[in-house]
Amino acid sequence: MPFAIGLLCLLAAACALSSLVTQGQSYDWYAQTYGERTAAVILALHADDAYHSVWFIAISGFLCLNLLLCSLTRLPGLIRRVRAGRDPLSLSAGEATARVSGLRDPEAFFLRLGLRRIRKGQDPEGRELLAAARNAAGYAGPWICHLGVLLLIAGFALGQMTKQESAVWGLPGQTRMIEGTTLSVTIDDFQAARGTAGQVSQYTTAFTVTDLSDGRRESASAAVNAPASLFGRKFYQNSTGWGADVRVLKDGKPCQLEPLCVGEGLDIRDKEGLTVLLRGFYPDYRPGAGGIPGNASEEIRNPAYLYMAVYQGRVLGMNVLTAGEELTIDEYTVTFENPRLYTLLAVKQDRFTLLALLGGAVTLAGLGLALYFRPEKLQAVREPDGSWTAAGWCRKGGALYEERFLAAAKEDTKEVHPE
Amino acid sequence: MTQAENILFVIVLTGYALLMGLNFAFLALKKEKLASIALILQTAVLALHTVMLVLRGIAAGRLPMTNQYEFASCFAWALCLTSLIFIRKYRFPVLGAFAAPVILLMIGYAAMQSREIHELMPALRSNWLAFHVSTAIISYGSFGVSFVLGLLELARGRMKKDGFLDQHMPAPEKLDLIAYRSVSLGMLFLTMTMLTGAIWAEQAWGSYWSWDPKETWSLVTWIVYAVYLHLRLRRNWRGRAAAIFAVVGFICVIFTYIGVNTFLPGIHSYA
Repeated sequence: MPFAIGLLCLLAAACALSSLVTQGQSYDWYAQTYGERTAAVILALHADDAYHSVWFIAISGFLCLNLLLCSLTRLPGLIRRVRAGRDPLSLSAGEATARVSGLRDPEAFFLRLGLRRIRKGQDPEGRELLAAARNAAGYAGPWICHLGVLLLIAGFALGQMTKQESAVWGLPGQTRMIEGTTLSVTIDDFQAARGTAGQVSQYTTAFTVTDLSDGRRESASAAVNAPASLFGRKFYQNSTGWGADVRVLKDGKPCQLEPLCVGEGLDIRDKEGLTVLLRGFYPDYRPGAGGIPGNASEEIRNPAYLYMAVYQGRVLGMNVLTAGEELTIDEYTVTFENPRLYTLLAVKQDRFTLLALLGGAVTLAGLGLALYFRPEKLQAVREPDGSWTAAGWCRKGGALYEERFLAAAKEDTKEVHPE
Repeated sequence: MTQAENILFVIVLTGYALLMGLNFAFLALKKEKLASIALILQTAVLALHTVMLVLRGIAAGRLPMTNQYEFASCFAWALCLTSLIFIRKYRFPVLGAFAAPVILLMIGYAAMQSREIHELMPALRSNWLAFHVSTAIISYGSFGVSFVLGLLELARGRMKKDGFLDQHMPAPEKLDLIAYRSVSLGMLFLTMTMLTGAIWAEQAWGSYWSWDPKETWSLVTWIVYAVYLHLRLRRNWRGRAAAIFAVVGFICVIFTYIGVNTFLPGIHSYA
């Protein structure tokens, strides 16, 4: 046990220290935040991705190994203890921690202590004997709890190793492929429901998934806290943002009209190397001090689009266009219109989530058994004068069990004598 | 915040301050009657606090457990409830004297938070919220009691021999057992909190464990109390040593609740 406790302390310290370091940043970010020397230490120790580092996995691995070996070596002894715990006659004189004599109604005394299945027999001296035991399953509590933790860690680790994660985003009408699959997702509709105070209360996306390899199609809708399951994957309503249609005219004639989400760019079809990027959107545009773009509210009142035009890797310009304003690049005229929210769906496949959930449930059950099913044994023998003497034992009951034992005895109508 | 809730908050805050005064007077003047009055007062303030939470819930149209003010208020409520249960169950009035300042600190922290009622963001509109946060509140309340008992155990060694105090304090072995039982309750509910949180996170974000600072510190707290439970199996780790662990465990609880929100941003930034 000391080794396991040491590992637990080490794991707690590792978690605590790692939580203090912002994860997944670059050397420059750490150098700017903590200084160059600390940044070098963070990267050397892999503390920038601590929970996936070799040392963290090693601590967790040793803990699992320890748990597994302990569970295996303790199993035969545990089975013996549970069996013995169910046998009330196995209570030895030296084992009992509470005794009382002078009882008149032992069966009522047993019931007051919560012991119902009373066995009758004789003690070695031939006296009449009543005995009962309960909560023998409590012995198995710690073992079950350890098994649960093992299952939980196994489920989590296997999930981390095998899970597939990606995301699709787009405006209603758009179709995107799920990376690394033959599945395409078409966004049929996206709604943001609002509460009485105007704040968004729910985001819901209706979408259709098509397997391009065989043409199968399935439709569903996903909302926050209500993911959809299709093609063995789960689709989560994860995020949202702004998008708009980009209209491109060439010499005044329609050339392109495509939806674009903030952060995306549109390659002009007839001019290789010319791209117009939508860098930001302000639904209620208010220019701030120094011309810095600002937003007064999230309502579309005065929409403005922050664009960037790039030609062959060179930035041609970056500015804000309000509704109706045009961007002209040579013979091309670009306008933004019809601003609306796009949806982002996270697509995940983790076949071991249920194993982790099972591990959690088993851990909880084990804890409940270990902490609240205290094995108890109680025996009472009939003395020659007709009164009864009782002896009891409760695992981890200590002084509190003795108090409960005596309180139950005091309810007996005849005067009792604690021993 | 409704007018009635506002008035009740002031009454509850004053009630907890009075409770602390009464408990201190009980210890200083050594009058048993004051402990009985304190117990009645604690029950009354708890009832008013419950009404206040119900009013808040009605005004908000949801369980009042979703921001710093509401959670702090519920934390104080749970501390009051669990300490009251332990005082009554184990006939242990001195516990009240040590618990009252902690309750007052927590309700004082609530008083410093914004009491405005805001609509919930979509991710918080889940039935799992009720299970996740209510189990957390019970768990924190139980750990609060174990912290107070740990302080009592540690203070016992430094206090002068006092017949009155000895008469109203459980024997060291019993005190240790009561602390163990409060940690047991807290541990069971903390495990439920983490499980329900994981299920909820899986539904909301698609990941039941993301090493978010709040999750990580919940795990740290869970490990600290797991170590406490393991160490108690060793004979020499009861009493004072176990009490130190109970205090350290509650420091982790407080850091998980307040420290993480203040210093470490994450997906629980609203909590």
